[in-house]
Amino acid sequence: MLVVKNLSKSFSSASGDVTALNKVNLTVQTGEFASIIGKSGSGKSTLLSMLGALDIPTSGSIEVDGVDIAKLSAGKQTAYRAKKIGFVFQHYNLIPNLTALENVMLALEFGGMPAKKRKARAEQLLTDVGLEPDEQLRKPPRLSGGQQQRVSIARALANHPAIVLADEPTGNLDSETGKKIFDLLHHLSRSEKTTILAVTHDMDIAGKTDRTFKLKDGKIIA
Amino acid sequence: MNVISRGIKNALRSPLRSGAIVLMLAISIGLILSMLVARGSVNSKIDEVKSTAGTSITITPAGVNGFAGGGDALTSTQLATITSTAHITGTSASLNDQLSSTDTSLTASLELGNFGARQMRFEGSSTPSSANSSPSDTTITRRAPTPRTTVTGTTNPNSVSTNGSDLTLTSGETIDGTSSELVALVGSDLATKNSLVVGSTFTAYTKTITVKGIFSTGNKFQDSGIIMPLATVQTLTDQSGSVNSIVAKVDSSDNVSSTVAALKTALSDKADIVSQAEQAAASVSSLESIASLALGGVIGATIAGAVIVLLAMIMVVRERRREIGVIKAIGGTNRKVVGQFVTEALTLTVIGSIIGLALGVAVSGPMTTSLVSSSTSSTTSTSGRPAGGPGEMMRGGFNQISKNLTSVTSTLTPTIFASAIGITLLIAVIGAAVPAWFISKISPAEVLRTE
Ligand SMILES: Nc1ncnc2c1ncn2[C@@H]1O[C@H](COP(=O)(O)OP(=O)(O)OP(=O)(O)O)[C@@H](O)[C@H]1O
Ligand SMILES: [Mg+2]
Repeated sequence: MLVVKNLSKSFSSASGDVTALNKVNLTVQTGEFASIIGKSGSGKSTLLSMLGALDIPTSGSIEVDGVDIAKLSAGKQTAYRAKKIGFVFQHYNLIPNLTALENVMLALEFGGMPAKKRKARAEQLLTDVGLEPDEQLRKPPRLSGGQQQRVSIARALANHPAIVLADEPTGNLDSETGKKIFDLLHHLSRSEKTTILAVTHDMDIAGKTDRTFKLKDGKIIA
Repeated sequence: MNVISRGIKNALRSPLRSGAIVLMLAISIGLILSMLVARGSVNSKIDEVKSTAGTSITITPAGVNGFAGGGDALTSTQLATITSTAHITGTSASLNDQLSSTDTSLTASLELGNFGARQMRFEGSSTPSSANSSPSDTTITRRAPTPRTTVTGTTNPNSVSTNGSDLTLTSGETIDGTSSELVALVGSDLATKNSLVVGSTFTAYTKTITVKGIFSTGNKFQDSGIIMPLATVQTLTDQSGSVNSIVAKVDSSDNVSSTVAALKTALSDKADIVSQAEQAAASVSSLESIASLALGGVIGATIAGAVIVLLAMIMVVRERRREIGVIKAIGGTNRKVVGQFVTEALTLTVIGSIIGLALGVAVSGPMTTSLVSSSTSSTTSTSGRPAGGPGEMMRGGFNQISKNLTSVTSTLTPTIFASAIGITLLIAVIGAAVPAWFISKISPAEVLRTE
C-alpha cells in the first residue's frame, strides 16, 4: 500500500520559489492501477519523481508498505529504486549503445540478480512484452517507438517491483500503439499484483484505470 | 556485462572522437617519456662530470693567462701561505718557460700555424727570419716567427696530466720534482721530432739535460713540451723562489668552495684562483639548463595530457547527462556510474599511453641528442683559447670535458619508464576525478525532464 501524506515540493529558481506540489494526500492499494491527469505544469512529473525517490520532498511523507522512503539514506533510496520501483518514461530512456537484451540485463544487475541468471530472465521478459529474438539483440535506435517502449516495460518489471511509475508512457506513440502498450502494462501488472501509477493525457486510457487522480497547481482536486 | 566492460565499450562508442583523443594523449605521453629520458641522461652526465672534476684548486698570478698578460710570479711566501691553509692536503707548484731555437738544441715539434704566428708577431720575437713566408698569405706581413718549446718546471710531474690521473709514460721513469737535477721528461711529439730516447741528452739554457722518460697525454700541446724539476727551472731561468702556477689538493669535495674563499682572502688580489669543481660546474651549466628545460617539458606535457582527458570526459559527461540520470533512476549506484566513466577514461588513457610510450621510446634518443648538441655547441666553441702555460693545460682538460658533454647517451632506464607510467596514471586520475564529481552531482530526477 502506498500512502502519501501532506507531500509538498518547492523549487527555488531565479524568479523566486515555485511550489510544484502543495500538501498532496493520496492512498493507492497494492495491485491497483491508478492514473494521474492534469494540465501541463500541474506537478504530475514532480509527484512521480517523489514517489520514485528520484528527488527529495520539501515536506510530507511517502510510505511504501509502512516505510517512509523520503527518510531513507541515499544508499537505501538507490536500493529502493532498483528493487521496489519500475520506471517507464515518455522518451523510453533506453541506453543507446546497449542492445534491448543488455538494457534489461542492466536493470537486473542493479536489482542484484546473479550474473548467470540475468540473460535467461531478460529473454523471458522481452518475449513476454512481445519482442522477437532478433529484435532483442538490436540496439534502441534500430527499434520502433512501440518496440522501445516494450523494452522499457520489460526493464521496469525486471526486478518484480512493488510499484511501476509511468510518466506519459504512450505520449510519443500513436493512439492504437498507445492502447496496446497500456493493455500490456495493465495485463502484466495484474498477474504480478503490481501497483501502477501512470500519468496520461488520454482520457480513454484514464477511464479504463481503477482510479484517477486529477492534479491542478500542485493539488489533488479529484 | 559489468561496469568495466560497459566503460570499455563506451570508450569506443564514437571511434573518430576517441581516436583524436588517443592521438593527442599519445603525443603528450611520448613527449613526457622522451623528456624524462633527456633529463635522466643529462643529469647522469652532470653527476659524472662533477664527480670526476676532482678537488684541485689552481692558483696563478693575477692577470696571467698562459704566457699572455702581466703580473708578478707567485713567491715562495705565498706558496707557504697556501700550503698552511686549512683542508689543503698537498700542493704542487710549477714554473713555465719557453725555449726558442737560440736557447736549445731541440727543434720544436709544434707547428705554429696561423694562430700561433699571429700571437708571436705581437711579442717582437728576437729571431728574424724571412723563410716560410707564404706570398699568398696576405695576413702575415711581418717576419715569420719560429715555434718554441714549452718547459714546465714542477714539483709533481703528474700534475701536468690532462685527465686528472697520473702522467702516462711511454718509456723510462718519472723524475723527482723536488730535486734540482738536470733531468727531464720529454713529450712524445717532441721526442719523435728530435729522435730522443731515454738516456739521450739535449742542451737547454747552455746546460746538458738528460732525458729520463717520454710521456704522452694525447694533447698535442703538452706532448710537444718538456717537464723538469721546479728547482731546476727556477735556477736555469734565474727566477729562484718564483712559481707561476700552484695546484693545491683539498681533502674533500665538500671543502673546495670554502677553501677557495679562504685562499682568495689570504692572497687578496695577487692571484687568480680557480677550482676544478667550479670549472666543471660552469661547463655543465648548459646541461643543467637542458635538464630544467626537459623538466618543464615533462610538466607541460603532463598538464596537456591531463587537460585533454579532462576536457574529453567533461564533454562525454555533459553529452550523456540524461543517460547517467537513467542509470541512477533504475537503481545504478553512484559508484557504478563513476566506475563506468573512470573505466572509459582509463581505456582511452591506456590506449593513448601504449602508443605514446612506443612513440617516446622511438624519439627519445634523437630528441636527447638534438637537445644536447644544439645547446652545448656554444660552450665548446668558446673554450678554444690562445695556447700556452699551465692555465692552458688545465683548460685543455676541461676542453675535453666540454667535448664529452655532447656525447650524452640517452638511456631509457626502468625507473624512467616507471615514472612515465606513473605520470600517465596521474593524468588518468586527474582526467577522471573531476568528471566523476560532476557525475555524482547529476540527479536521477533528470530523466523526467523533457528536453
Ligand atoms: N527542477 C525544477 N526546478 C524548478 N522548477 C521546476 C523543476 N521541476 C519542475 N518545476 C516546476 O514545477 C512545476 C511542475 O512541473 P512538472 O514537471 O511536475 O509538471 P507536469 O505536470 O509534469 O507537466 P507536463 O505535463 O508538461 O509534463 C512546473 O511549474 C515546473 O516549472
Ligand atoms: Mg511531466
